[in-house]
Amino acid sequence: MFFLSRTQVITALGAVLLALYVLELVRRRRLSEEYSLLWVIATGVIAILGFSTPLLTWITRTLGFLGESSTTFAFGLAFSLAMLLYHSIKQSRLTSDNQALARELALLRDEVETLRQAGDGASR
Amino acid sequence: MTPRVLVVIPAHDEQASLPGTLAEVHASAPSVDVLVVDDGSRDTTAAVARASGVRVVSHPVNLGVGGALQTGFRWACEHDYDIVVQLDADGQHDPGYLEALLAPVVAGRCDVSIGSRFVSSTGYRAPWNRRLGMLLFSGVVRLALGRPIYDTTSGFRAYARRVIEVCQWDFPKDFPDAPLLIALARRGFRLEEVPVVMRERTAGQSFYTLGKQLYYPYKNLLASLMALIRKPV
Repeated sequence: MFFLSRTQVITALGAVLLALYVLELVRRRRLSEEYSLLWVIATGVIAILGFSTPLLTWITRTLGFLGESSTTFAFGLAFSLAMLLYHSIKQSRLTSDNQALARELALLRDEVETLRQAGDGASR
Repeated sequence: MTPRVLVVIPAHDEQASLPGTLAEVHASAPSVDVLVVDDGSRDTTAAVARASGVRVVSHPVNLGVGGALQTGFRWACEHDYDIVVQLDADGQHDPGYLEALLAPVVAGRCDVSIGSRFVSSTGYRAPWNRRLGMLLFSGVVRLALGRPIYDTTSGFRAYARRVIEVCQWDFPKDFPDAPLLIALARRGFRLEEVPVVMRERTAGQSFYTLGKQLYYPYKNLLASLMALIRKPV
């Protein structure tokens, strides 16, 4: 068993707790499976880095980070950025979908009212 | 055969200026149909417009001026209009110029005619920041198209049927200005400017509020670049 620093333990435990919470949100249908994927990967990677000192040290040396904690933070930040970008893309898509829906709704309502008036006129 | 013309008026909280504008349109062009696109107004815009006897389509939420125009294009296509004229609700655009604006499109000389404040001296004076923006974007359009369009921000335009058919599915949401003109020209549509005199808005709020003044140049520069490098569909 390798020696785990306090930071590593805190990081890893935090990641595990977050992963469990994400899964719980999926279970309660508050979070869709699609969105949970990035979260589960992110927390999984952070947890592995936290628990495995050799891997963390190897990555830190290879990528030339100054310290092990920087590596963990770098991964966390990379995932946060990926998540934000993903949400921006999703939101842009939702905005334009929403626009189209509002437009079609307005046009349909206009058509329904026109038809209704024509019907009233005919029945009279 | 005379073309069927629809005047589309996007209106967001324009109850004060709309009746005057509608009366003016009716007085100068009694034969054209008018569609008011009530863009999620919180005031009585829709009721006021209906009382004037024009057709009204109401958005359940606010989509912005471009979104409202796109609805107008969709409506025009579904109701088989040949030409759509875009006109502001606030009384800036004098319907007396409708005929001059329509003439080149009706004659088939161009696909989009733009009521322009700058092709000849029309006496229009804008505040310095607006003038700077207008200069910048007519420069951008000149760079992109190799020929100038002086009034890129003019919201007084006439569109031929083939343009409407494209615009009903693909239209900028917020500011239908320089990027739109670049995209339309790259699709092969012919644009032409027609000199008009514009007035001060009579009431209500401009679409171009302070927050948008910062976003506007960024968005339009980026969108212009995209319109230029994107493959026209």
